[in-house]
Amino acid sequence: MSLAVPSALAFALVALPIIVFYILKVRLRQVPVSTNMFWKQIFEEKPPRSIWQKFRHLLSLLVQLLLLGLMVFALADPYFSWQAMKARRIVLVVDNSASMKATDVSPTRFNAAIERAIELADGLRFRDEMAIVLAGSRPDVVLGMSGHIPTLKESLRSIEVSDNPTRLDSAIALGQQLIGDHPNGEVVVLTDGCADIPQNDTLPLGGSAQPGRVRGDTSTDEANADANNEIAKTNEELSEILPARSLSSRPSQREGDIAVGDTKLSWQVFASEASNVGITQFQVRRSLIDMLGYEVLASVKNASDNAIKCRLEITLSDSVVDVIPLELKPGELWSRSLEKTSREGGILSATLTKIRGDADEEVEDEKPTAEDLEKLAQLNQLSSDDFAWAILPEQKVQNVLIVTEGNLFLRKVFEANPLVNVTTVTEMPESFPTDTLVVLHRLVPKVLPPGDVFVVDPIEDCDQWSIGKSIENPIVTEIDTKSDLMTHVRLDNVLLPEARSITFKNDPKILAGTISKEAVYAQINRPSGKCLLLSVDLDKSDLAFRTTFPIMVTNALNWFVESSGELRESSKTGDLVSWPIDSKTFAGGAMILQTPARVETEIAAFHGVKASEMKQNEMTIGPFEQSGVWAIGSQFMTKVAQGKEPVEFVSNIAVNIASERETDLRPTEAMLERSNESTSLSGWFGKPVWYYLIAAAAVLFVAEWLLHQRRVLS
Amino acid sequence: MLFPPDFLTRLEYLSILSKRVFRGQLLAQRRTVQMGSGIEFSDHREYSPGDDFRYLDWNIYARHGDLLLKRFQEEQDLHVYLMLDCSKSMGFGNPAKFDLARQVVAALAYIALADLDRINLMAFSDTIIDEFPLTRGKARILPLMKFLENLEVTGESTSISRGVQGLVHRSGRSGMTVVVSDLFDESGFQTGLDQLRYRRYDGHVVQIHDRKEENPPMLGDVEMVDVETDSNRKVTVTEKNIRQYKKLFQEHQGSVREYCRNYGMGCTQTPSHVPFDDLVMNMMMRAAGHAPAKSGTGG
Repeated sequence: MSLAVPSALAFALVALPIIVFYILKVRLRQVPVSTNMFWKQIFEEKPPRSIWQKFRHLLSLLVQLLLLGLMVFALADPYFSWQAMKARRIVLVVDNSASMKATDVSPTRFNAAIERAIELADGLRFRDEMAIVLAGSRPDVVLGMSGHIPTLKESLRSIEVSDNPTRLDSAIALGQQLIGDHPNGEVVVLTDGCADIPQNDTLPLGGSAQPGRVRGDTSTDEANADANNEIAKTNEELSEILPARSLSSRPSQREGDIAVGDTKLSWQVFASEASNVGITQFQVRRSLIDMLGYEVLASVKNASDNAIKCRLEITLSDSVVDVIPLELKPGELWSRSLEKTSREGGILSATLTKIRGDADEEVEDEKPTAEDLEKLAQLNQLSSDDFAWAILPEQKVQNVLIVTEGNLFLRKVFEANPLVNVTTVTEMPESFPTDTLVVLHRLVPKVLPPGDVFVVDPIEDCDQWSIGKSIENPIVTEIDTKSDLMTHVRLDNVLLPEARSITFKNDPKILAGTISKEAVYAQINRPSGKCLLLSVDLDKSDLAFRTTFPIMVTNALNWFVESSGELRESSKTGDLVSWPIDSKTFAGGAMILQTPARVETEIAAFHGVKASEMKQNEMTIGPFEQSGVWAIGSQFMTKVAQGKEPVEFVSNIAVNIASERETDLRPTEAMLERSNESTSLSGWFGKPVWYYLIAAAAVLFVAEWLLHQRRVLS
Repeated sequence: MLFPPDFLTRLEYLSILSKRVFRGQLLAQRRTVQMGSGIEFSDHREYSPGDDFRYLDWNIYARHGDLLLKRFQEEQDLHVYLMLDCSKSMGFGNPAKFDLARQVVAALAYIALADLDRINLMAFSDTIIDEFPLTRGKARILPLMKFLENLEVTGESTSISRGVQGLVHRSGRSGMTVVVSDLFDESGFQTGLDQLRYRRYDGHVVQIHDRKEENPPMLGDVEMVDVETDSNRKVTVTEKNIRQYKKLFQEHQGSVREYCRNYGMGCTQTPSHVPFDDLVMNMMMRAAGHAPAKSGTGG
């Protein structure tokens, strides 16, 4: 046995004053009494009856010296040589996925796992080290290797459960990297087993884990420099603590444990065969047949062995859109697409209600009893997946002024769009209204009006182009397929009846061109507004072009209002989302992300940056760890005292759990089979020697206290 | 200060109060009843050779032929003997029991002197230490107080019997005897008081104790020092011991009361923190058959 702090033995000198005090105890506190006649009767009538009473003072001294000895020895921190030789390096992989919120294990699976993790941390011996890795959407090192048990326990208590899906592979791989080639390494996975068990040979053993818990993760944005620095710092730390990994394999140390590479892997599963029903999909998209319509795709899974009845209630901005009664067989996945119409848009939410057993009758308009709630809790152990959200943006009505000598086809194409308010004039007006798309057919002023302009078949010159000769039967050979303006448009090798040769004064962006490089459809760049030019003669166009033209107009309308016309799909928890940065909205301010719990975080700052100077068009946001509706807003500094103005939220992101695996709370059989309680950390005798010395000292302290009490209280 | 400036005023007040309370029932107002050469007939007894013929009742002899001697009641002044315990145990406590004892002795002496009685003060511990001789008249109170002030606790033990023996040997006749003591006599207080009874002294006991004697504030390992003998005793006092002590103390107090009640002696038991005038007043009220004015005294 060796001592970690041998200098602590100097505290043994405290024994000297103890002995001195014991000797001085002969000179007891003097108490004068007026007569001894009563005390004589007491003490002489009952002389010491046993040797024990004679020696109890001496025994007390011995107990005190022994107590001191134990405490001094504990301060010296003794350890056995085998402890130093077999110091362990342990990584706790904590699963904080959505299914860990289930209440089938009291109080929740996650809390039970954390309590177990704390017990394991308590079992650390001298020179043992432990790290904590969070198996989130991306593995996250909560705490690097440390032997300080209070820090480990504090870190464990700081972990919060999320709505993320279960992704254990990368977390286990990161744990193995943290252990390195340590001979006594062990990865302990604390999970509910609601995941596919990772295969030994498929684990990314040598891969570099990406610790990515940083929201607003961008590569170039100056505003996210701090976040990137954090990532870089984390990677540096990892590279420092991760030794070169040995890939030599070693047999597992104990039956029931899994050896991954040369690292022992053990499982602690906190789950039972819990029943649950949840929304596994909830997406919304534009209707293909109705400009104002949208389609909802919803899926509900009954992840239990019992038939379940429930209702799927869909609301749009708190107005009920649909209520669908469901009768789900055991294990049934119900899916349906619903057609709905709304121009105003809003937050579309789906909720599972009235969940009950197959034999239970639905009780309307009554407060549920405790028994009902108990039944509900048994049928639906996870409530987080009973809700799902989608964002339905508002569709704005667009004013369009058509200047044409009279083309019914052109007018009808615009009027066919229910989101367009069309005004038609036959002569060129002296002034043009603002916030209006001006469509110029043939007639073109000398100077194009500011704002949005869509020119069709111009016959006159203007400040942006000169009209050339007409082109007979041009064939479109070049299409800019990446442009939103050409979505769903196929003009490849289409023979147009007639077009005009245009000479542009500034280089345009050609969306559709002929084999002779003549622009048929072009996007003109000018500072005063957006401009599109289509040089095709509509009157002479054939059926093929007349079929395409309405789609081109729809794309153009969306382009002019800066909307692609497509809905942003609901994200899943743990996902990253690419988000366009609108220079008009965020220039000079900060980009704020608000969680469903109304916690605001600045994810990008553009203070002092003008809209024209903003180089970044898009940034990555996430991962989103909580389901619900997240909001993105802008915030500007006030001119006075550098304060901040209230956040103005401009967009929402719907985040749903939407995972069949998370909804299904029943652990896989393979996971249950491999679960074992016996890690190397288990057991009473895993604690350091000083712990037992202090425990023995405490026992002796109690003994001395009893001896003292026996003397005083008899 | 043992006798504060207003001490005499308080004594005078007590003296006046005692006359109103007792109306001649106390001390000099109540003469001793002894057979002697008085003028008031008491009874007859048989003639013994050597008796004075002058007291033969010739009328009875004439009628019945029996020689009977007439006896007459002789009235004498009351002798009040004050026995003050000066053992070291009386110096115990705060305030010391000895202070209250001397104040009580002074008060009783003043009341007696004011009633034209004769007083005699005996200071004793394990033997007679000092004596204030038999005296009479209120003017003698000041020498008595000076005598009391000069007294100190001394001696190695308390022996009431030796004190009583000294009293008996010194006093020419019996009288009322007030013993002021804590009665911590290891040989037993009964022996001394028995001697008083046997000599036909009219006895009264004033027993003083300190609160610390009633509830000793000690626990654990202590070294007890007997203030009388200076002897040490290393003991571990437990709560059980304390309970035993209290029981023994109360038994001792009870035995004093029991003894006095059985043999018709007055008994006053008091803690040392009680004012002396309250205590004396209470004693007088009891003697007059009134209810006790304050707790802490008995008898």
